[in-house]
Amino acid sequence: MTPENITSNREVVVAVRGLTKVFKDFWGRPKARAVDKVDFDVHRGEVFGLLGPNGSGKSTTVKMILGLLYPTRGHIQVFGHSPRHVATKARIGYLPEESYLYRFLDSSETLDFFGSLFELPGQERQKRAAQLLDMVGLNQVQHRTVGEFSKGMQRRIGLAQALINDPDLIILDEPTSGLDPIGCREVKDLIIALARRGKTVILSSHLLADVEDVCDRVVIYYGGHIQAMGALQDLLATPDAIRMTMPILKRETLDQVLKTIRAEVAEDRIKIDTPSQNLESYFLGVVQKARQSEMETSGATSGHQVAAYLRGDANALSQADKILDRLTLPTPAREEPMVRAPQVQSATDLAKLESLTRRTEPAPGPPPPPPTAPPTPTLSAQDLAKANEKLAGLLGSTDKPKS
Amino acid sequence: MKRVLSIALLTLRAAMRYRLVMLLAVVVLALVVLVPLIIRDDGTARGFTQILLTYTLGVTTALLGLATLWLATGTLARDVEECQMQMVVVKPIARWQIWVGKWMGIMILNLILLGVAGGAIFGVLQWRASKLPPEQQAILRNEVLVARGSLKEPTPPWREIVEKVLEQQAQNPQFSTLDQRLFRQQIEEQVKARFQLVPPGYGRRWEIPLGIAKNRVKDKPLFLRVKFMAAGVTPVELEFNPRSYLATWQVGVPESPKTWRDQMTLAAGAFHEFAVPPNLFSDQGVLNIEFQNQNEETLLFDLTDGMEVLYREGGFTLNFVRGLGIIACWLALLAALGLAAGSFLSFPVASFVSLAALIVGLSSGTLAQVIEEGGISGVDHDTGQITHPLWIDQMVVFLFSCLLKIINLVQGFSPIDLLSTGRSVTWEQLGLALLQIVVLMGGLFAIIGITLFTRRELATAQGSA
Repeated sequence: MTPENITSNREVVVAVRGLTKVFKDFWGRPKARAVDKVDFDVHRGEVFGLLGPNGSGKSTTVKMILGLLYPTRGHIQVFGHSPRHVATKARIGYLPEESYLYRFLDSSETLDFFGSLFELPGQERQKRAAQLLDMVGLNQVQHRTVGEFSKGMQRRIGLAQALINDPDLIILDEPTSGLDPIGCREVKDLIIALARRGKTVILSSHLLADVEDVCDRVVIYYGGHIQAMGALQDLLATPDAIRMTMPILKRETLDQVLKTIRAEVAEDRIKIDTPSQNLESYFLGVVQKARQSEMETSGATSGHQVAAYLRGDANALSQADKILDRLTLPTPAREEPMVRAPQVQSATDLAKLESLTRRTEPAPGPPPPPPTAPPTPTLSAQDLAKANEKLAGLLGSTDKPKS
Repeated sequence: MKRVLSIALLTLRAAMRYRLVMLLAVVVLALVVLVPLIIRDDGTARGFTQILLTYTLGVTTALLGLATLWLATGTLARDVEECQMQMVVVKPIARWQIWVGKWMGIMILNLILLGVAGGAIFGVLQWRASKLPPEQQAILRNEVLVARGSLKEPTPPWREIVEKVLEQQAQNPQFSTLDQRLFRQQIEEQVKARFQLVPPGYGRRWEIPLGIAKNRVKDKPLFLRVKFMAAGVTPVELEFNPRSYLATWQVGVPESPKTWRDQMTLAAGAFHEFAVPPNLFSDQGVLNIEFQNQNEETLLFDLTDGMEVLYREGGFTLNFVRGLGIIACWLALLAALGLAAGSFLSFPVASFVSLAALIVGLSSGTLAQVIEEGGISGVDHDTGQITHPLWIDQMVVFLFSCLLKIINLVQGFSPIDLLSTGRSVTWEQLGLALLQIVVLMGGLFAIIGITLFTRRELATAQGSA
């Protein structure tokens, strides 16, 4: 069953039909057609990416889904209602592209204020705020006003407020903008963890790596139109090629393999290279090593564990419940993405082959990739507690996850 | 309601964090302390207290009014401009709740500041009163620091008389050749003069029914508050050349022992108050007051404020609180006005528009003058009227008449004047103020503001936060 088929059977969370937005000037004359005849559905439990260059219409679409802008033509339904339906908003969390928070409030007050708009009881608000601040690594600066925060810290508190209501639909507009690589990884892991709990995530970004790491399906915008739409793996797959990854072979064995292959495939269609990790995983490895040597840092600390209420309070579940829970979780619409090696520009050459097959001592320098070396968009797929433990390990938490 | 309160508290917290509350409280308190040091009075404790009340309450109202307008326009317009509003409206809260929450926040702030200012004014008044000699204190507590009811003579039917005269004159063949408006004005002046003017050697009698106040004023002294002009002398002339006249008064039932007589010298153009003994009214509850003009000039008692009888109704404290209540109603209206402007305009434009609306509201005198003159074209200096009104004059008169009616719904209350003259601000007046100013006018602005705010696309603003 393809991801397309899987998603088509699921509940439609957001339905967009013929959506057009024309911005007008003071005199009502059309100024810009930001979005033009856009159609798509977002299903429950999927991470849906809106991808496109700046000014392509992604944010305008997001703002129409949120009821912040009104369509010129077409219509949108969110959970079967108009985006302006007040009660429906209780199921939505939104992180805008910039920090639009009240600068005179501190982190705790910010979360308390937004929690009160959901009419959460006082104790529940406090509990969630504490968990969220811990999760985004701001628990040590919770009494500093948001106006004093760096951009990255403002993104973190923005993300926390978007999750205060444990939303069913989370709309994230450029969620990793302004975050350091650790923060980016945390956000991406969080998105995956949320999707695993059946939450729907709409991610608007022009950062291809973000989208590639977490999204099940994407639409690609340009000039207000949808240029491409579909499951990410369908869009990216190269159906007429295969790739094998294996340990270094003896020269004779490799020659033998190549000889067999060359018998069937032209020389210029065979590419050989050493798989390498990407910069993100390398950076995370370095930071993890530094953490292990207990170096100090200032500002926001990395988040510890996904807030309990966002994990579905996995701690409270028995083992049997966990299994049951896992069985009832929505099936992820994506398969484990393959590690994509950088593209090799040249065809096979003997000198390179020589160097690749030569056994060498491990070189000092780059540390080994962390156990969760990306790109690994899913956690271990065993259970949420395990995912959380993995996330905490990745971020160098000294606290042991409770589950 | 919880969501509305959250917005209200956020608005209040913003004002606190930006130290606006602190600043306003300090300025108001400073004014309450400084104003008594710089004001000029007539040298009496009563005069000083009256001026103190008028100035301090006036300045407090003006200051809080402007702060309210600024805060109300800013709290909504700037939230939209700086995009914080986007974060709020995507939460499960209706836009009308945001609007009302903002209004409530501003009003909580106003009530706190009004309470601080009112408390300070009340404290200063009581403290200064306690420093006066006992007889001065008694005067003050009887005439200013008190809540007194007011009785006036029923308005004489001068309008009906004018109509009758005009009807009679209409049968005159020359009537149609006359300038109708000028003729009517002359007849009105003549008829009113019959009720207002007291020529030398003549007298004037007021018969004032006490009505339901009859039992309340039993065994209590009454206070006559009078003001007269010397006919033919303008107020400006009186200011530069004050004149005093002999006034002979007789109060009580004619030709009976229940009569009080006195003679005094009073200045023209100013209000005078004097006490008369209790129980001088007739069994039917009518108080007769007679004035004899023994001067050589004709005197004029205005029909509106020439003669007023005041009697004690209650204490000053509650009266003062009710007076502050009416001021709070005005502030509530200004908050609604500012929020309505901020609902669809940017902060600078909203501030300008709401301030302009306030100035128009305070220009009721100019509006009334334009209506009286019949337009905005050149006025004939002899008649004080526009001789040949144009279509624009008619349009302006119509527009201004409508505006004035609306403004009078708000300005028809004068708590500062009532408090400074020791008159009652009644519960009825407070209720009416609440109804007319807050519910009717404030509600109108709220409907306009909420409608525009609900229809507004909030993500068109480019954040500047």
